[in-house]
Amino acid sequence: MPPRLPFVQAAQCCRRALEVPPKQPSLVSLFAALSVQTRSASILASLSDNKGAYHKRIRRGRGASSGYGKTAGRGMKGTKARNKVNPWFQGGQTPLIFKHGQKGFVNHRAPVMAELNLDRLQCWIDAGRLDPTKTITPRELVRSGLVGIKDGIKLLARGKNEIRTPINIVVSRASASAILAVEAAGGKITTRYYTKAAIKNLVSGKSVHTDKPLPVGPEHVESVLQQARTSRKHFYRLPDPTSRWDIEYYRDPAHRGYLSHTLKTGESPSLYFKVPGEKALVGKKSKKSADASEERLF
Amino acid sequence: MAGKGMRCLSEAMRGLSLGAQTCRTVPVRTAPLISRRSMATEAPVSKITRSVDEKWTPITTVPVTVHSFPDLAPRSLETYSAKHLYLPLRRDILHLAVVYEGDNTRQGTAQAKTRWEVAGSHRKVRPQKGSGRARVGNKQSPLQRGGGKSHGPRNRDFGTKLNRKVYDLAWRTALSYRYRRGELIVTEDGLDLPLPEDFLQQAQDGLLTRELEDAFIEKYVGEMLGAMQWGKAHGRTTFITGEERMNLFTAMEVAGENGRALELEDVDVKDLLETGRIVVERSALKEMIKRHRSDLVTSIFLPGQKNTKETTMGTVVYPSSKVSYA
Repeated sequence: MPPRLPFVQAAQCCRRALEVPPKQPSLVSLFAALSVQTRSASILASLSDNKGAYHKRIRRGRGASSGYGKTAGRGMKGTKARNKVNPWFQGGQTPLIFKHGQKGFVNHRAPVMAELNLDRLQCWIDAGRLDPTKTITPRELVRSGLVGIKDGIKLLARGKNEIRTPINIVVSRASASAILAVEAAGGKITTRYYTKAAIKNLVSGKSVHTDKPLPVGPEHVESVLQQARTSRKHFYRLPDPTSRWDIEYYRDPAHRGYLSHTLKTGESPSLYFKVPGEKALVGKKSKKSADASEERLF
Repeated sequence: MAGKGMRCLSEAMRGLSLGAQTCRTVPVRTAPLISRRSMATEAPVSKITRSVDEKWTPITTVPVTVHSFPDLAPRSLETYSAKHLYLPLRRDILHLAVVYEGDNTRQGTAQAKTRWEVAGSHRKVRPQKGSGRARVGNKQSPLQRGGGKSHGPRNRDFGTKLNRKVYDLAWRTALSYRYRRGELIVTEDGLDLPLPEDFLQQAQDGLLTRELEDAFIEKYVGEMLGAMQWGKAHGRTTFITGEERMNLFTAMEVAGENGRALELEDVDVKDLLETGRIVVERSALKEMIKRHRSDLVTSIFLPGQKNTKETTMGTVVYPSSKVSYA
């Protein structure tokens, strides 16, 4: 390190490249050069934000000289000077809200879906942010920043003409036209039941993605236990739907539900409404046995 | 390799010429002699503007000499990106960062008792009428001696927010400001203060009392930094290391008037701007820059790729744009 000049001289040296020197050295500048201070001053004292970056808050009712002193900008006398006027006030006429009452309600328990449109999906694929050669699951969609973590992801059909890449995608729900568009492009779409916790686990790698439902029945117990004993890391399993609406949604082949393979031929995805022919058949059977008992009694 | 060697050599030469100057300035091309000759009354040509035909080639890298400590012998020469160590001085950005840090450092633990929190009976002090004195309620009233405090301080969080990219820019602006003034001294890794052998031996043998040890270290550090023009008379010195170094940190605590030593975790923008110069070890400087470049590194997740590559400021560069898989 060569010995350094004191701060003030160094600062002058820096400035010299930019400043235009005066034509003649004035008397003032000569005197100023004599009183050169040799102390190192910190830049901290000369920091400030840009001019106009801050607006000073108006302090209402703090004295006449502020301009907002006596009435604080509220004028003179009346409701607006003393209180506030309700937003539904209609000048004395009976407001709508009292005339007709409240309509409807907000269901706070309804699952909130992250909406995903086909044009944005295609844009992400074009940009290389999603790999279309692999299955696109909520994990990929969240990690690429396309959607956030909510109760699920619903695929919608905005820009359905733009989708041209054949993809294999698994989402919570999909609109009918989105399913058509993805399949028209040669892709495959499956809807699967997710919860918010399940998507969180998938994103953080605590779950392994699968589009198969959990195995149910005593014959699966041994294999599941065996796998749990041998594997080192514990993975949370993805849940299956338990409510009627959800089960029916994912049983429906029209939704490309992941439970649709459990339907028998001719079986309706609904859990309660049976196909009429089948119902009639069951009715006949019971009637027969009833008839037999009747015959025996009388 | 040869090309790289030549480049290093030219950087070294530039570094030498820069080092010889008191403050680092971008070398300005000098005009030929004829155009330099001027009339006495002629206004000098402004150096701010450039002619159109002169191509503007901003520097992209700056040289940094790595020194040994404490003899400050040059050991190696490195190049850093101009976006890391040669940013223009933005006083507004530095101001935002320093205020943000100050706000978030405030404890906000001042707490005074209100009239509802002061202990005691809420009995009426004296009858409402007949005493000939002013009417009073209970003795917790703010008007009473020993009563509660009205509008007193309450526990609260003074913290403010600052966009991460702005804060990181401020951090590198502070480093650049120091670098440009020649006040950023980079040393080899393992920056520590060597103390005399005989002193250490005597201290280990327990021959010195605590006061004697401290007095020696204070004098030793004072003289050493004074001789380097780094001491109190020259605005103190901040030493920054990756982790705590016993000798250095103890010595700087004792000889605090000559400077201070900080771990990397404890450093913020204000620390970088405070004292006369910053002495930082190479790995700590690298780590600082690595942690504060969110405005240069893309945060976009790409499958099968780590996002450490720096992009040009403000634009996102995708590796493969408009690939058709059809």
